[in-house]
Amino acid sequence: MINLSFYLPEIFILSLIIISLLIGLYYKNSNTILLGLNFIGLILISLFYAFSPESFLGGENSMIALSKIIILISTAIYILMIKKSLDLDSIYRFEFLLFVLFAILGSFVLISSDNFLTAFIGIEIQSLSLYLMASFNTKSLSSNEAGVKYFSLGALSSGFLLFGISMVYFDNSSIQFSEINKITYFSEIGLAIIAISLFFKVAAAPFHIWTPDVYEGSPTISVLFFATIPKLASLVFLFRFYNELNIKDYDSIDFIFKIVCILSLLIGAYGAITQKVIKRLLAFSSINHVGFILISIISFKFLSEGTFFFYLIIYLVTSFGVFSILISLRADKEEITLISQFSGLKTYSRSKSIALLILLFSLAGIPPFAGFFAKFFVLNAAINEGYIFISTIAVVTSVIAAFYYLRIIKNMFFDEPDSKIKVKSMFYNNITYISSATFVTLFAIYPDPLIFLINSYFN
Amino acid sequence: MNFSFPIITLLILTPVIGAITLSLTKSDQINKKTILLAGLWISIGEFLLSLLLPVFYDKSKNGYQFIEFHTWFEQFDINYYVGVDGISIPLILLTTFLIPICLLCSWNSIKKRVKEYVIYFLLLESFIIGVFVSIDIVIFYVFFESVLIPMFLIIGIWGGENRVYASFKFFLYTLAGSVLMLLAIIYILITVQTGNIDIIKNFNFDESIQLVLFLCFFASFAVKVPMFPFHTWLPDAHVQAPTSGSVILAGVLLKLGGYGFLRLSIPFFDFASIYFQPFIFTLSCIAITYTSIVALRQEDMKKMIAYSSVAHMGFVTIGLFTLTQDGVNGGYFQMISHGLVSAALFLIVGVVYERKHSRSIADYSGLANTMPKYSAFFMLFMLASVGLPGTSGFVGEFLVILSTIKISIYLTIFTAVGVVVGAAYMLLLYKNINFGQVNNNLKEMKDLNFIEISYFTIISIMVVVLGIYPKLLLKLVDASISLSVLS
Repeated sequence: MINLSFYLPEIFILSLIIISLLIGLYYKNSNTILLGLNFIGLILISLFYAFSPESFLGGENSMIALSKIIILISTAIYILMIKKSLDLDSIYRFEFLLFVLFAILGSFVLISSDNFLTAFIGIEIQSLSLYLMASFNTKSLSSNEAGVKYFSLGALSSGFLLFGISMVYFDNSSIQFSEINKITYFSEIGLAIIAISLFFKVAAAPFHIWTPDVYEGSPTISVLFFATIPKLASLVFLFRFYNELNIKDYDSIDFIFKIVCILSLLIGAYGAITQKVIKRLLAFSSINHVGFILISIISFKFLSEGTFFFYLIIYLVTSFGVFSILISLRADKEEITLISQFSGLKTYSRSKSIALLILLFSLAGIPPFAGFFAKFFVLNAAINEGYIFISTIAVVTSVIAAFYYLRIIKNMFFDEPDSKIKVKSMFYNNITYISSATFVTLFAIYPDPLIFLINSYFN
Repeated sequence: MNFSFPIITLLILTPVIGAITLSLTKSDQINKKTILLAGLWISIGEFLLSLLLPVFYDKSKNGYQFIEFHTWFEQFDINYYVGVDGISIPLILLTTFLIPICLLCSWNSIKKRVKEYVIYFLLLESFIIGVFVSIDIVIFYVFFESVLIPMFLIIGIWGGENRVYASFKFFLYTLAGSVLMLLAIIYILITVQTGNIDIIKNFNFDESIQLVLFLCFFASFAVKVPMFPFHTWLPDAHVQAPTSGSVILAGVLLKLGGYGFLRLSIPFFDFASIYFQPFIFTLSCIAITYTSIVALRQEDMKKMIAYSSVAHMGFVTIGLFTLTQDGVNGGYFQMISHGLVSAALFLIVGVVYERKHSRSIADYSGLANTMPKYSAFFMLFMLASVGLPGTSGFVGEFLVILSTIKISIYLTIFTAVGVVVGAAYMLLLYKNINFGQVNNNLKEMKDLNFIEISYFTIISIMVVVLGIYPKLLLKLVDASISLSVLS
C-alpha cells in the first residue's frame, strides 16, 4: 500500500507547475502574480517540511528533509530574482519559471530515490530543464551553443548512467540500493560508471569540460541556478550513493573518488588562473569547491553529514550573493563578461564592491568569513580520517585559488575605472547580496543559528 | 584580582565599532580631515583603554588575567577564550600606540579615499589585538589570517607604482605559510581534543610528530618574521606600501611571527625546538649577515630599512631559540625595540618622501643644513637601530649576544659581526642624506611640522626610556616568559 502522504511535497510542486502552466497560458499579464504564487507555495512546502512530524514523511531520513528544505527556500528566493534579471535582456517568458520548478521536482525525486531507476528519472527531469535554461536566451548564439553543448554531453553522461545501472542490475538482479552488496568486478565496474556519470552532473574534474563553456554562454541567472540548487541535489545524491552502497568497501571506486577529488581541487585552482572571463573563472572556482565537498563525502565518519551540509549551505549562500551582484552589473546593453570590466567598480557602487570583496574572500577561505569555517571543518574531518595528503593538496590549492579571487578584488579596488559599468539597482538582487554578505560576515561572531539548524537534523 | 569588566572584548570591538560607524557616514558630506580626526580619536581612546591592562595587571600572579570565555563551536571544544599575560601586554600597547601614529603620519599624504583608509586601519588594529589576546589556537589562527585582508588593501590601494605586485606577493606568501599551520592546528585539535593553548602546552606529542608539526608552524611564522629564505616579500611590501603601511608592517605585523614562536611553537614542541635549534640559528645568522650586506648596497631608503628589519628580526629568532631566560628576554625586548625604532625610521623616510616624492638615497644630501630638527631625530633613531647603549636597541641585542656565548662562540661571532655591519649601513645612510653639499632643489625643504615633531618626540622618549630603564618592560615579561615559554 503506497502512502501518498510521503509524496505530498512532490505532488504539491507538480500541482504548482500545472497551475502555473495554465495561468501562464491563458493570462498573458500574470507574471507577477505567478511568481508571487510560486514563492508563497514553495515557502509553504518548506514550512510543512520543517514542522511536520517525522512519521508523516515516512522513511525519509533527516538528511533528505534538510536538503529539501534548503532547496525549497533557496528556490523561493531565486524565483523572486528571475523576472527582473531576464528583463534586462528582455527575454523573460513565464516558461523559465516552469523549468525551475521542473528542475527542483527532478532534484526532489533524485534526492529521495532509493533505487537507481528513480534516480535516473530524477536526474533526467532535472537535466532537461537545465538544458533549456542554458539556451534560454534564444537571441544569443553563445547561449544556444551552451545549451547544445550541455545537452549533448549531458545525454552522453545519462547514457553512461543507464549503462552502469544495467551492469549493476545484471550482477545483483536488483536496482534497490539496499540490495546491492556484491563485490564483483561486474558490479564494481557498473558502480564506477554510475559514479562517473554523477561526477559529470556535479562538474567534478576530469568530467568538468562542459562547465566553463556552459557557464560562459548561459544567461547569468541560469548559471546562478546551475551552480547552486541542482548541484546541491546531485551532491546529496552522491553522498547517499557513497554511503548507502558502502563504496568504501570497493577499493577501486574509493580510489576513483579520491583521484577525482584531487583532480577537482587542482584543476579548479589551476584552470582559473589564466581565465579572463568572469563566468569561466567562477566555473573553475565551483570545480575547486566541489573538490572540497568531495573530501567531506569521502571522510564521512567524523560528523561528516554536518560538515557536508555546513559546506553546502555556506557555498550556496555565497554563490547566491556573488551571482546576484554579477547580474546587476551591465556594460551598456550587455552582461559584464571580462574580469577587466570590473575595474574601478568601487567608484560605481560602494556597497556592491564591498559585498563582493567579502564574498570573494569567503570563497577563498580567508578568515574571519564563513568560507573559512566551512573549509576548516572539512579539513578537520579529512585529517581525522587520515587523509593528510588530500588535505595538503586542498590547502595548497586554496592558496592558488586565493590568487584569482584577489585578481577580481584588485580590479575592483586598486584600478582606476576605465570602462563604463552600469549598475542596475534591482530590489531582490540587492536583498540577496546584502543578506548573503551579512551572513558570511556575522557567521564568525554568531555561528549558533546554522550550527543549531544542522545539529537539530543530525543528532 | 577579579576583573569582571570585559576589557579585552572591548579592546577588540572598539575599533570595529568605530569602523562601522565611520562606514555609515556619507563621505561626500564630511571633510576628509574630520574623518581622519575621528579615526584618530577612536584609536587614541583605544590606546587609553589598553593602558588599563598594565595598570590592573597583577604581576604577582602567574598565568592569564582578564580571562573571558564563551563557547563558540561546541562539538570541537573551540571557544572564544581570551586573556592577557606579561607577554601579550607590551605587544598590545605597541599596537595601540602605533595606530594613532599611522593615522597622524598620513595627515597630509593620504588624499584619496580617506574614509576607507581609516576603516582598514581600525579593522587591522582589532585583528592584531585579537592575535595577541587569544588563548585558543583556532581564534589565534582566525585573527592571524584576518590581518592579511586590511593590510592587502592598504598596500594595494595607497601603495606606490608597483603596488599590485607587492600586495599580491605579501598576501600569497603569508597565506601559503599559514595554511600549513592550519593543517597542524587541525591535527592538534583532533589529538588533544581542545584548542586551549594551556592544555596543549602540557600535552606530550610524539617526537617524530613534533618535528612535522613544528615545521608546519615554522612555515607560517618564518614567513611572518621573516626569516632568511622567506624574506623576499618584505622589501617589496615595504617599498610599495604607504608610509603608514610600512610603519604598521615593521612595527607590529612582523612581531606576529615572533609572538607565534614564543606563544605556540616553543611551548608546544619542546623536543622539536631543541632539535631545530641549530637550523634556526643558521638561518638567523645568514639573515643577520647576508641581509646586512645586502642593505649596504641598497639605493632605496625604504628597501635598506626593510633589509635591516630582516637582520634585526634575526636577533629576535636567535634570542627566542636560545631557550634561556636571558635569551628569550632579549629576543622579546628586541621585538619591542625594533617595533619602535623601525617604525620611527620608516616615518623618517616618509617625511622626506612626502616632500620630494623620492626614496632614492642619491637624491638627498646635506639635509642637516636645511632640516636640523629632522636630522636630530634621524640621528637618535639611527643610533637606536645600530644599538647604541642608552637606547632600546642596545638592550635586546646585548642580552641576545650574551646568551649565545653559552651555546656557541661562533654564533656570538656571527651575531656580533652583524651588529658591526648594521652600524656600517645605517651610518652610511645617515651620512649620505644628512651631510655634504645641499642640492639646489633641496633648499626649499621645510623642516618638521608640529604633528611630525610630536610623534617623533613621543617615540624617542619611549626609545630612550626603554634603553635606560629596561626593567620597566622586563619585569613585566620576565615571569610570564619563564612560566609559559620555558617551563
